[in-house]
Amino acid sequence: MQISRRSLLNGAAAAAAAVSIPAPLLAGAGGQRIVSLDYGLASTLLSLGVQPVGISDLADWNKWVVEPEMPSSVVDIGSSHEVDLEVLIQLKPDIILTTPYLDQLLPRLQPIAKILRLEIFTPDGGPILPAAISATRKLASGLGREKEAEQFLTRSDAFFESCRARLAGRTLPPVALASFMDARHARIYSAPGLFHNALERIGIRNAWTRQSNYWGFETIGIEELSTITDREARLIIFEPVPPDVLPKLAESPLWQTLPFSRPGHVSVVPPALMFGMVNEAMRFAGLVTDVLDHDA
Amino acid sequence: MTALRRDNLGPGVVVFLLICGGCVASWFLVQPALSGTVAPGYDIERMVLYYSTLPRLATALLAGAALALSGALFQQVLRNPLADPTTLGVSAGANLALVVTSLFMPVLLGAGRDLVALVGSAAAAAIVIGLGARRGFSPYSLVLSGLVLSLWCGGLSAILIYLNQRYLASLFIWGAGSLAQQSWVIPVSLIWKIVPVAIVCILVIRPLSLLDLGESSSSSLGVKLVRLRIVAVACAVSLAAFVTSAVGVIGFIGLVAPTLARLSGARRPVQLILWSPLIGASLLFLADSVLQLVAGGLGDFLPTGAVTAIFGSPLLLALLPWLRVRHRVQHAAAVHERQRRWGVGKPATVALASVVVIVALGLFVGRGPGGVWSVPSGEFSNDILAIRTPKVFAALASGAMLGVAGTILQRLTGNEMASPEVLGISAGATFGVAIALFAVAPGFVGQFAFAAVGAITVLAVILLSSRRSNFAPERVLMAGIALSAMVDAVVGVLSSTGDPRAVLLMRWISGSTYMVDGQTATMELAIGAVLIAIALSARRWLDILPLGPAPSSAVGVQLARSRLALFGLAGLMTAAATLTVGPLSFVGLMGPHLAREAGLKRALPQMIGAALIGGGLMVLADLIGRTAVAPYQIPAGLVSALIGAPCLMILLGKGR
Repeated sequence: MQISRRSLLNGAAAAAAAVSIPAPLLAGAGGQRIVSLDYGLASTLLSLGVQPVGISDLADWNKWVVEPEMPSSVVDIGSSHEVDLEVLIQLKPDIILTTPYLDQLLPRLQPIAKILRLEIFTPDGGPILPAAISATRKLASGLGREKEAEQFLTRSDAFFESCRARLAGRTLPPVALASFMDARHARIYSAPGLFHNALERIGIRNAWTRQSNYWGFETIGIEELSTITDREARLIIFEPVPPDVLPKLAESPLWQTLPFSRPGHVSVVPPALMFGMVNEAMRFAGLVTDVLDHDA
Repeated sequence: MTALRRDNLGPGVVVFLLICGGCVASWFLVQPALSGTVAPGYDIERMVLYYSTLPRLATALLAGAALALSGALFQQVLRNPLADPTTLGVSAGANLALVVTSLFMPVLLGAGRDLVALVGSAAAAAIVIGLGARRGFSPYSLVLSGLVLSLWCGGLSAILIYLNQRYLASLFIWGAGSLAQQSWVIPVSLIWKIVPVAIVCILVIRPLSLLDLGESSSSSLGVKLVRLRIVAVACAVSLAAFVTSAVGVIGFIGLVAPTLARLSGARRPVQLILWSPLIGASLLFLADSVLQLVAGGLGDFLPTGAVTAIFGSPLLLALLPWLRVRHRVQHAAAVHERQRRWGVGKPATVALASVVVIVALGLFVGRGPGGVWSVPSGEFSNDILAIRTPKVFAALASGAMLGVAGTILQRLTGNEMASPEVLGISAGATFGVAIALFAVAPGFVGQFAFAAVGAITVLAVILLSSRRSNFAPERVLMAGIALSAMVDAVVGVLSSTGDPRAVLLMRWISGSTYMVDGQTATMELAIGAVLIAIALSARRWLDILPLGPAPSSAVGVQLARSRLALFGLAGLMTAAATLTVGPLSFVGLMGPHLAREAGLKRALPQMIGAALIGGGLMVLADLIGRTAVAPYQIPAGLVSALIGAPCLMILLGKGR
């Protein structure tokens, strides 16, 4: 009787465990519990077949990163600048992924878990896409996932090539990439940024030739768009666009003079993360290719 | 007649020089487009000239004139040389309205960004004026409630930006005042709004000049004081609101132009109100055209409002020793005496008990993964307490120090607006951190060092620049305001260039205890204990000095030396508090006020009360900020402003 009751309880416990456990156990690389404080690193983790136990700024993932989808079992640990240390401790992470941008957090993070610090955006780091690729390899070797990393990078190469192939044999216009901040100001993306590198990778010229900061963007007044002299240049605007911007632009005589204001020369595309890694470059390349492929 | 002409000569020369400079600079801007041959069809250079450069220059002239006129009106009505359009919270109200609208009702923005900002600033002005009316428009209470509201709106919009930083990046630009234009819509609409207001101003100039004679005498002349003030303030508020809603915050012009007018010889109210707009217009014209030239060379985006403040504030600092501060009639309403309702013991006991309860809550309440409310227990309790304890006690010590520092400053200067932030010490520390972040990018210890150097430098600059005036309260406050504005401006520039490091700076400025560790908290407590003890022992000076120079000297207090020592003490306390929890000025403003409103009037009880209230408030703010939207954190400094400001407003409203 006792034995049967115990076995019953054991069975129940096992069943409960089977129901509650799956995500974390399937997740870690070799059972490691990983937390990421950077969107790019988090999405790269997923591409290496590793599911983090927690990431920062999870609440905004679908606003900025969108792809790949983050599994629902991942815990939000707060803003990357102010990670909720109490929650972080209770997640019992083995490895925390971070970037130089968050270096000031290191003293607080080091006692909690092993730190894997990957450099992508640094003041003298040069082009972002190559830096992101080497960071991907470094991350993989830190987690023992080299094979998956090479597969992922091959996949991404193939994807970029397919974009290039889709656009091959056309006279491609140079493309300017911008996010509108209000009806008078925009951020424009150029070298050495991730978007610029991805453009080059799929064989498109960036219409904005001036170098920007090491994050790859520059803030401009909209009249500065007139310095783009190529009449055929295209403007690609990333969402989110503040609601009053497009109507106000339509009223501006200066905007109407710009080559972009002609029909078919400006497109609004879904959000893509400008401060990401390989996955984000792929999403961006896909969006741009769709636009150019569609109108040719 | 000759006297009148000599009075007008100075301001005239100033305007002439500024306009000449502006014309030269703008010629360089315009000339390339004019010299080119007119190409048929597509001529982008000419289009940029017609629809960007020229409207921008026109906007600069109009905005400068409107802001300066608004500033001159405020200074006239409030009889406070520190008043300017931002003092009434107009721009902060507009900013908050924009932030809220873009977050929760973006459709409304489509209907009109200007309209939204205008509603916000009008609401802010209505609240401030409503509170002011209850106190018969006492100049000080008006400015004080304006400042409180401004801080409150600023705090709330900062929290919203903080929680949605990447969405609201444009508000950085808006806040920093960019004059960039792509059509004539804005300057033309500005003309239509400014001209009617200016006409009203002309009508009220003469009666306004009577105001300057002081309350009782002009009442006997039969001037309807209150009504006149309402009209003048309404003009000033709407001018500032129009400009702010059109191009953003370009606050410093409203302070600098009337000051320049006064320094160059305009003394009468009529002259001030006539010359200030001219000086303001030419000043902003010059500033913006030079800025466009420089920015073109650097290939960088620079918002005009922030840049004028960067150059305007040191100018003001330099002018400070020559500024003629008139001896104004002190008003009965300014030092508002009230019957003591309770003894000293009861409020102090209540405050102490509340502080103990708040500290306990701060230590034992929190939220776990998934946002579950919990009291620390089991395997993690030690780790979690190790994270919380330093925050709680650092907040307690900082709040207490700010409270005492605020008490000292308010007693010393006799100015209800005085607070550690107004003194500019916390701004100096922030500046140090900004330099550290952007130029050197050191670790945490390095940032600390830079903050300390910044705070101490500001203190030295203030003390040196006000030494000639024997530390006259107005000089010290003015120096502080100038420095604060400069720091705000630098931060504005850094933020609107979109550099992600600006977010780090934002966090620091918003007063987060996040980085506080055990060692810091211990140091903070020790410094706090020592400095507060010193302050308490100086209670006799603080009781006597507010009575004025004559009584102080009569009882043997050395005026200059005791003031220097007390300013130094307040500065040190502010620096120490700022180093760990950011420039949390609001506690320093609120602590002493709440203590006084609770009936603690003499120096010693007021300081103790302010320390307890300040400390308790900071801990409570930290607790709320940590748990309200966990796992995301709201900085304690912002929360304390949000809790404290409405309290203070209610007290101000009741105070009759």
